[in-house]
This record gives sequence, structure tokens and C-alpha cells, in this order.
Amino acid sequence: MKRILTIGIILILGASILGGCGANNSTDSGKGFNLDKEIVVISREEGSGTRGAFVEITGIEAKDELGNTVDRTYEEAIVYNGTNQVLTAVAGNEYAIGYVSTGSLNETVRALKIDGVEPTTENIKNGSYKIARPFNIATKGNLTEITQDFIDFIMSKEGQEIVSEDFIAVDDNAAPYAGSKPSGKIIIAGSTSVTPVMEKLREAYLEINPEAEIEIHSTGSSAGMQAVINGTADIGMASRDLKDSEKADLDYMAIAIDGIAVINNPANTIDNLSLEDVTKIFIGEITRWSHIK
Amino acid sequence: MKKNFLEKFMAIVFFISATASIISVILICVFMFTGGIPALREIGLFNFIFGRKWSPSNVPPSFGIFPMILGSIYVTLGAIIIGVPIGVLTAIFLSKFCPRKIYRYIKPAVNLMAGIPSIVYGFFGMVVLVPFISNVFGGNGNSILTASILLGIMILPTIIGLSESAINSVQKSYYEGAIALGASHETAVMFTVVPAAKSGILASIVLGIGRAIGETMAVVMVAGNQARMPNGILRGIRTLTANIVMEMGYAADLHREALIATGVVLFVFILLINGIFLILKRRMN
Repeated sequence: MKRILTIGIILILGASILGGCGANNSTDSGKGFNLDKEIVVISREEGSGTRGAFVEITGIEAKDELGNTVDRTYEEAIVYNGTNQVLTAVAGNEYAIGYVSTGSLNETVRALKIDGVEPTTENIKNGSYKIARPFNIATKGNLTEITQDFIDFIMSKEGQEIVSEDFIAVDDNAAPYAGSKPSGKIIIAGSTSVTPVMEKLREAYLEINPEAEIEIHSTGSSAGMQAVINGTADIGMASRDLKDSEKADLDYMAIAIDGIAVINNPANTIDNLSLEDVTKIFIGEITRWSHIK
Repeated sequence: MKKNFLEKFMAIVFFISATASIISVILICVFMFTGGIPALREIGLFNFIFGRKWSPSNVPPSFGIFPMILGSIYVTLGAIIIGVPIGVLTAIFLSKFCPRKIYRYIKPAVNLMAGIPSIVYGFFGMVVLVPFISNVFGGNGNSILTASILLGIMILPTIIGLSESAINSVQKSYYEGAIALGASHETAVMFTVVPAAKSGILASIVLGIGRAIGETMAVVMVAGNQARMPNGILRGIRTLTANIVMEMGYAADLHREALIATGVVLFVFILLINGIFLILKRRMN
């Protein structure tokens, strides 16, 4: 009796597994892109610099009635904590949309035009591609000789070449570095996104000028600006535009530009979105590809 | 005299080696609790554990990990539902029914499964399971179901290995007695040997739960990681481990401390599971 029961249970288990596999096969349309399918929104994790810049530029982050700043990213959005994972996910899902830094684009995904503008280096530089952020450095008052020399290096041909390895250089025709190589110490503080490129710049500069000593604190854009205003740092790094209150106290300049590309699967028939649609997709107001005008 | 000294010295060396693991456990405990408790105090234990909203970069931020606690529990339950029947039946087969020839291939394959890095499982899940689930069941594929299936596969070696040795260690007289009373081989195995190995099998399941709840990389790659209340088996979810590993890189201040506090909650879960495992193991002996 018990044996029959056991066999019965095994049969039911087996049948349910097979049945489960066969049940909804009709939804698998296979070939052809279906615009009526739901958009699979892919985002980055909270705290990521790319996400921070993206939600700020597109207006996903907004003030609510109470004056609180709220990141309105669609709560059904899939969250990945790396550029490569976003790329793999978008490449593997025909209905996905995501965003990555333009420096990491590859041919497995399509970078969408925003308001008809492609995210090329040229368009980002002349400002016609809207989803981009400058990497700024800020200083206050008169500079020490060593600080001035290091800034000259960043803006020189050598410095801008280092910048363009990962981002977009602001000056392609910079003159080669011809500094006086003074000795001294520089303290740099600010954005975690700018820190890696700043560390590369430091390394290259120290090779040219071993007399210098450079300390880099990765504290975040706002903290970096504050440090320069207070005089605790010589150079501040910001991965965004400076706020008006900061502009009043500081001299600043862009050392690089980082574009953020909105990407979808090459099988998708849509290759152009308005900035407004991008915002609506990422806050969940548009949930189907066919709802895009 | 010289020999005596050497023996004493080596005894100390052995003792230090033995205490190394205990010391690391204590250090981890101390780190977790000193790192996490300030955040718990600032956010409030109740708000932290039962808060339903996780949005650290809003102003003001909210740190509620209830969705992630549920996420971890759901995914682990799913893994148990999928992994335990397969694992236990495989263990019974390997121990009592498997011909030597096949055993030579299955056993090393199971052991190999335990050695595959979890990121490889995750990649397999991302490129194979996610599209499969999406095609067969609909949705976008990054779901509780996908994570459960993947974890169910990942806990198989733990369950098979421990269950098999539990079944093997049942005294032969149980089986022989059943045969002597006229039971067939199948009946003797299923109704005398397996029930006798019950607590060992349960222990293997508990250890499997521990593995599933602590798994990180593979889950991050297939679960979708949405920090909101779970709302369906074909929808995504974020587990406690995923929450920590995803946001630790850029987190600062209270956000960072809240992630460490998430670790504390996870740690308490693991302590509970291991406590249960110890009790079961004691009963088994």
C-alpha cells in the first residue's frame, strides 16, 4: 500500500515538472520583435555614481511635495551592481533598456539616440547629447606653485591622453607638458567617480616630477568642494556641475566629460527616444515599447 | 629533556592552530556587532527590520530591510522545495541502488558540483536559466523562481553528500532484519533504512538552507535585485546578501553602517540555522 503511495507521489512530481514546462509555451513567440511586450528596465544600485548622474540629468530624481529629494526609479527595475552585468543583461534580453558610461559601450548593445542625437564623442563635447556629466576640479584663490603645475599637467597633452583612456578629453589639442617640476605637497579630495582617473594622473605626474607629494581623498563630490572652501584640500573633484553656492567661492574647470548612453538590445526596432520618454520609462510611467510615440 | 621540550612546543603549535578558527569567529562577531549596532540605534531596530522601504540616497533616506528578509526566506524555501527531493532521492539511489559502474561517474560529478565557483553558477543562470524561464513562464526571467532553481541546484552536493553518509552509517542489522521479515530490497530501504537516517538527512537539509541563505554572487545575477516587497514568483527580489554586496562599493556613512547591520541580521539567521544543525547532529549520535 505504502509502496503504491510512494510511486504515486513520484509520478505526480514528475508530471507536475513536465506539465509546468509545457504549459505556457504559447507565450514564446520566438522570432520577431514584439512591441507590445513589457519593457525590462535595468538600473544600477543606489549609491553608484552612474546612477546618481543619470537620475539627476533625466529628472528621475525629483523633489516631492514635502521638499524631500526622491529617486523615483521604477521599483520593478532590475538592479545590477556593475557596468558589465548591465551590458550582458541588455545583450541577452530583447526587451531590456539600461544605461552605462559611454566609455564601456560595446557592439552587443545599441546606444539609443536621445532626441535624435547619437552619444558620440563629438556630440557629447558640443553639448547636443544631453545625458553627460563633466568631471570638474575646483580650487580657491591663489594657487601654490606645485598645485598650478599639477593642474597644468592635467590639462596638457599627456594628461588629457590619460583622461581619454576612460572618458572624453576636454581638450584634444593641448600643448605638451612643460612645467617647472617644483617640489611640494598637494591634497586632493572629492568624487569617488573621478578618483580612479585622478590616481592615474598622479602616477604619471610623479614619474615626471618625483619631488611632488600628492594625497587623494575619495570623499564624494560635495565633501570635496567643502574641503576646498574650508582650505583643508588644495584641489576638489566633482563628478557633476558645481552648485551656485560653490561657484561663488571656487574657481573650477572641467578636466573630462563622461557621457551616459541609454542602451537597448540590437533586435529592438526602436533606436531613438526623447529625453522625456527615457525619464518616463525609468520611473515606470511607460511600461510597453508600443507606448512610445 | 630535549624530546620533552619539543613535545611541549609542538603541543602549543597544535593548540594555536586549533584556536585560529575560534578566534576568527569571535573577531567576526565583534566586528559585525560593533559595526552594525550604531546604525541599528540610529535607524531604530523596528524600523530597520520591519521597514518596507529601502532608499538610502533619498533625502531623508529610509532603511527598511523587511523586503530583503522576505526575499532571502522565499528564495531559500524555493531552493529547499526544488533541491531537497532531488538531493535526498539521489542520496538514496547512490547509497542503495546504484550499480558500481555508474557510481564511479555520478559520485565525482556530484563532488565536482560542490567545487564550481558560485559566480560560474550565476553566469549559467544569467545566460541559460533567465531566458528559459522568461520564454516558458513569461515575465523577464529575473525572478524568485529562477533564483530558487539555481540555488536548488547549488545545494545539491551538500544534501547528497551528507544524506548519503547518513544512510550509509545506518546499522546493517536494520536492513537485514527487514529482509528477514520478508520485505523486498526497495521496501527495506525506503521504510527502515531511510527513516533510521532521518536526523542525518534533516541535518543535511539544514546545512543546505545555510548554504542557500548565504549564497550571494549567483543570486545577484539572476534575482533582479529589486528592493521592494516580493510580489510574485515570476517577479524579482533582493536578498540580504545581495543588498550588502551590491551597495557596499559606493556606500558611505549611515548607508554603509546600515549594510553592516544587514550583515548582522544575516549573521543571526546563520547562527540560528547552525544551532538547529548542532541539535540535530547531537540527536543523530
